[in-house]
Amino acid sequence: MAASVRLLTRRVVRLCQRRFNVTCVSGPGQQSCRGFSDAAGDRSTHFGFETVPEEEKAKRVYKVFENVAQKYDIMNDAMSFGIHRLWKDALLHIMHPQPGARLLDVAGGTGDIAFRFMDYIHSQQEKQERLRVQSMQTPSWQDISDKYSTEDEGGPQESTAVICDINKEMLKVGKQKAESMGVSAGLSWVVGDAEELPFDDDQFDIYTIAFGIRNVTHIDQALQEALRVLKPGGRFMCLEFSKVTNPVLARLYDAYSFQIIPALGEVIAGDWKSYQYLVESIRKFPDQEEFKGMIEDAGFYRVQYYNLTGGVVALHSGFKL
Amino acid sequence: MFYNVLRRLAIEAGSVQRYVNSTAHIRRVGAVCVSVRRFTDVKDGAQPPFDASLLQVLVCPLSKKPLRYEAETNELINEELGIAYPIIDGIPNMIPQEARLIQKDADASNTSQQK
Repeated sequence: MAASVRLLTRRVVRLCQRRFNVTCVSGPGQQSCRGFSDAAGDRSTHFGFETVPEEEKAKRVYKVFENVAQKYDIMNDAMSFGIHRLWKDALLHIMHPQPGARLLDVAGGTGDIAFRFMDYIHSQQEKQERLRVQSMQTPSWQDISDKYSTEDEGGPQESTAVICDINKEMLKVGKQKAESMGVSAGLSWVVGDAEELPFDDDQFDIYTIAFGIRNVTHIDQALQEALRVLKPGGRFMCLEFSKVTNPVLARLYDAYSFQIIPALGEVIAGDWKSYQYLVESIRKFPDQEEFKGMIEDAGFYRVQYYNLTGGVVALHSGFKL
Repeated sequence: MFYNVLRRLAIEAGSVQRYVNSTAHIRRVGAVCVSVRRFTDVKDGAQPPFDASLLQVLVCPLSKKPLRYEAETNELINEELGIAYPIIDGIPNMIPQEARLIQKDADASNTSQQK
């Protein structure tokens, strides 16, 4: 009986070993198969809290902004109680552009940043003009002859702003706004992809992307392109929703985001899902430190961020040297 | 009694559905009216002129080479790759998928212009 038991146990052990070997062989085999399918381009990314294939994300983001384009500015005011204007003004103040600077506003859509940029440049020019007039109260003959020889006081190069967006509808709304406000001078509108910008190297002094980079499928590619088109010494500036640092404010912000914003979207723009995507995409975006790391990896120097409104919005800035 | 209630419910639901459909239709018709108005505006005045100063900044997103502006077809042409980017409402469309191949058919360009 002992012998038969021993035989039995030996057979069982051999069976178990065989099964174990089989699973061992299939295990890495399966993994390698999975790896192969990943390499074949089956990668997925996040669209809000959903997981979607990468090609689909760009299309769905396009549809979101196509739907909300007409009501985009009104919704911004309603959702942020007009505070988004302060955020954009803060961006301009920190940017402090000088006359002659060239701006590229990516994902600029309705053109808020570009309009503010042109206003700021004009007020800077007026200030410089005033200072120049003050200092020339008693001009020498040299100054008078110089003044007659130069044609324009705008400086050697006029400031221009190029607004680039992947979505035609948003650009159309922005262009109409510019024409109705009468501020079209110096503005150019281009439909382009942030991951593949249609601009040559070393072209712009300032690159801004305001509330647009979280919608880009490959953020690192967008950062690489930003580095490429900036002149050496150029500045990269990114306004984006980020992690709220204060826990009490965070709770309130979450409740507000998930309960009220989509409802506002439904009432004002007739589109619940687009604004649901908006608040979800904010949660999926990396936080301040992680994004700072991504910008540094792309090759920018002196990267720093400013938290606005307690971390609701973060302004990241880096230089190309 | 329950039958009456169910019947009332069904009728109400049906009327709500019809209302929803009619508002959607009105919105769509409104959109069509607006787009028709915009089309007539464009027809009355000439096509908004393309800003030639943009040409100094724009390059082909694929090859990063400068482009040539073609006034007749209102397109930006990359000779090397043989593709043309359309200009709509004075705004150039520099998305590679939206460009058309010059030599081949328009249909072939949409399928072969994969990124």
